Amino acid sequence: MRARNWELISLVPAALLVSAGFAAVYIQRANQLETVSLIYGAIFLGLCLGAHIFIRVTLPHADPFIFPLVAVLACYGLVMIYRIDGATEARVQAQWFVLGLVLFAATIVWFRDYRRLENYRYLIMTGSVVLLLLPRVPGLGVYSGGAYLAIHLPGITFQPPEFAKVGVVIFLSSYLRDHRQALASGRRILGYRIPPLKHLGPLLALWGAAMLALVVIGDIGSSLMFYGALLAIVYVATDRISFVIFGMLAFGLGSWFLATHIPHIDARIQDWLHPFNPALYSAPLGSYQLANAQFAMAAGGLFGQGFGQTLLYIPGTTNALIPFPSTDMVFSVITGDLGLFGAAGLLVTYLLFISRGFKAAMLARDSFSKLLAVGLSTVIAVQVFVIVGGVARVIPFTGVPLPFVAYGGSSILANFVLVALLLLVSDRARRPLSDT
Amino acid sequence: MLQPVSVGLKLGFLIVLYLFLVWVAASTLFDLRRGLRGGGGSTVPVGEATSIHQTVDPMALLGDEEFEPRLVVEHASGHEPGVAYDLMDPVTLGRGDVELKLEDPFASTRHASITRHGRTLVLEDLGSTNGTYLNGEPVTGPQPLHVGDRIRIGDSEFTYLQ
Repeated sequence: MRARNWELISLVPAALLVSAGFAAVYIQRANQLETVSLIYGAIFLGLCLGAHIFIRVTLPHADPFIFPLVAVLACYGLVMIYRIDGATEARVQAQWFVLGLVLFAATIVWFRDYRRLENYRYLIMTGSVVLLLLPRVPGLGVYSGGAYLAIHLPGITFQPPEFAKVGVVIFLSSYLRDHRQALASGRRILGYRIPPLKHLGPLLALWGAAMLALVVIGDIGSSLMFYGALLAIVYVATDRISFVIFGMLAFGLGSWFLATHIPHIDARIQDWLHPFNPALYSAPLGSYQLANAQFAMAAGGLFGQGFGQTLLYIPGTTNALIPFPSTDMVFSVITGDLGLFGAAGLLVTYLLFISRGFKAAMLARDSFSKLLAVGLSTVIAVQVFVIVGGVARVIPFTGVPLPFVAYGGSSILANFVLVALLLLVSDRARRPLSDT
Repeated sequence: MLQPVSVGLKLGFLIVLYLFLVWVAASTLFDLRRGLRGGGGSTVPVGEATSIHQTVDPMALLGDEEFEPRLVVEHASGHEPGVAYDLMDPVTLGRGDVELKLEDPFASTRHASITRHGRTLVLEDLGSTNGTYLNGEPVTGPQPLHVGDRIRIGDSEFTYLQ
C-alpha cells in the first residue's frame, strides 16, 4: 500500500500548481472573469482525489507516479485554457475531465484483465481504420488546413485519430506478440537477416497503410505518430535495429515523394522553411500562425512574461494574432507566459511519464503487456514530438493535440483510456507473485 | 498594484513544478538502483528480467547456494500436483522414454527440453505436433525461463521456480 501513499503525496504539487495558476490568472484578468470560474480549479482537484481513491481500491500495485504526472499535465492544460478563454473553454474542458475520468474508471473496471483485448484484435483494428477514414466521409468530415483530422456531428467536433491510436497500438502489440519470433528469424543475406516474406508482408502492408493514411488524411504528423509506435513495437519485439533503420528510410522516402507531389503538403513545408516570407505570411492558411507563434515564444525569454501576458489578439481589435491558441498553439502560449523554464518543465513532465511507461514495460511478465506498454508510451512520445516540434519549427507543423494539455474532448477521453491501460499493465507487473 | 503578486505566483508555479519533477526523477533513479540490486521492498523479484530479451549473462557462474531450478506440477495426469522436478541436469519432456514422462495424449514422444546454461534455464520445443506454451504463448526457438513462468503441454501444466 506504500505506493498509493506516494501517489497521494505526489498529488499535492498538482494541487499547488492549479491553485497558483488559477490565482495568477484571476488576478491578471479579474475584470473579465467571475469568481465562479475559480471553482473549475477546485472541481479538478476533487476529481484527482476521487481518481486516486479509485486507483487505491482497484489497482493497489500500479505505478505511483503515472497518475500524478498526468494530473500535472492536465492542470497545466487547465490553467492555460483558463488563461486563454476562462469564460467558456475552461468550463467545457473541466466537463471533459469529468467524462474522461468516468471513462478512465470504466476502462479499469471493464478491462481488469486487459489481455482479453487480444481476442478482439481484428475488430479493434477494423474499428480504428474506420475511425481514421471517417473524416473523409462527405458531409461528416471537417477539412482544415489541408488535412482531414476531425468529424463534425451536431453540437460536437470529434477527432477520430485520437481513439484510433489506442486501437492501433493494441492491435500491433497483439499481432507482433504472435509473429515476433518469425520476424526475428529468417535467412541472412549480405549480413542482414531478411524475414520470410509471408511474415514481412503484414509489416509492409502497415507501411503502405501509413503512407495511404498520409494521402487520405493529408497529414504527415499523425501518420508519423502511428508509424513511430509501429517501429517502436517492432524493435522491442524483435531486437533488430535494422527494422527501425529501414522503416525510417522507407517513411522518409515515402514522405519525400508525397511532399513533392501533393500541393498542400508542399505548402506546409514551405511555411515551415520560410515562415517570415511576406508572401507566405499573408497567404490564407499560410505561415501567419506559425510566424506569430515564433514571436510569442521568443518574447517568453527564460522565465516568461507572466500568466496572461502573451498577446493573443492584435491590441484594440478582436483579430487573432495567434489563431487556435488553446489547441494547435497552446505550446507557444505556454512558452510565452512561462518562458523556457515553463516549457522545459512541461517537456520533462512528458519525459518522466514516458519513462514510467517504459518502466511498466520492463517489469511486465508477458510479451503482450510489454509491447502494449511500450506502444502506448511511444505513441504519446511521438505525439508530443510532432506537435511541439511543429510549433518550434523543428519539423513541418501538424495540428495534433498536445496530450492532456490542449483543449479538446476526444483527445482527453482517448488519453485517459490510454493511461488506464498503462496503469492496468503496471498493476499486473508490480503485483507480488504470491497474489497471482 | 497586483503585478508583483502575479509574478510571485508565476515563479511559485515554476518552483513547485521543478521540485515535483526533481522528486519524481530522484524516485525513478532510486527505483532503478533497487531493481539492479535485485529485489527488496514491494518490487517484483523478476526486476531486471524481461521475457522478451534476457538481460542476464547466460554463462553467469553458479556461486549462490540458493539456486534450485525446479519444475512444479500444476496438473498433469500421472503426476501429483505440487511435486517438483529438479532441473540442474538437462530434462526432456515427452510421451516416450524421457526424463519427465507425460501421460498426455497431446504430447509428442520427445516434446520439449529444458537445459541449464549457468543460472539461466532454457526451454525449447523439439518440433512437437501440438506445441509447447510458455505463459500462454507458443514457443518457437529457445526461450529463457523466469521464476513463475507457466509451461503448458497439451493438458499438462507446470510452473518454473528457482
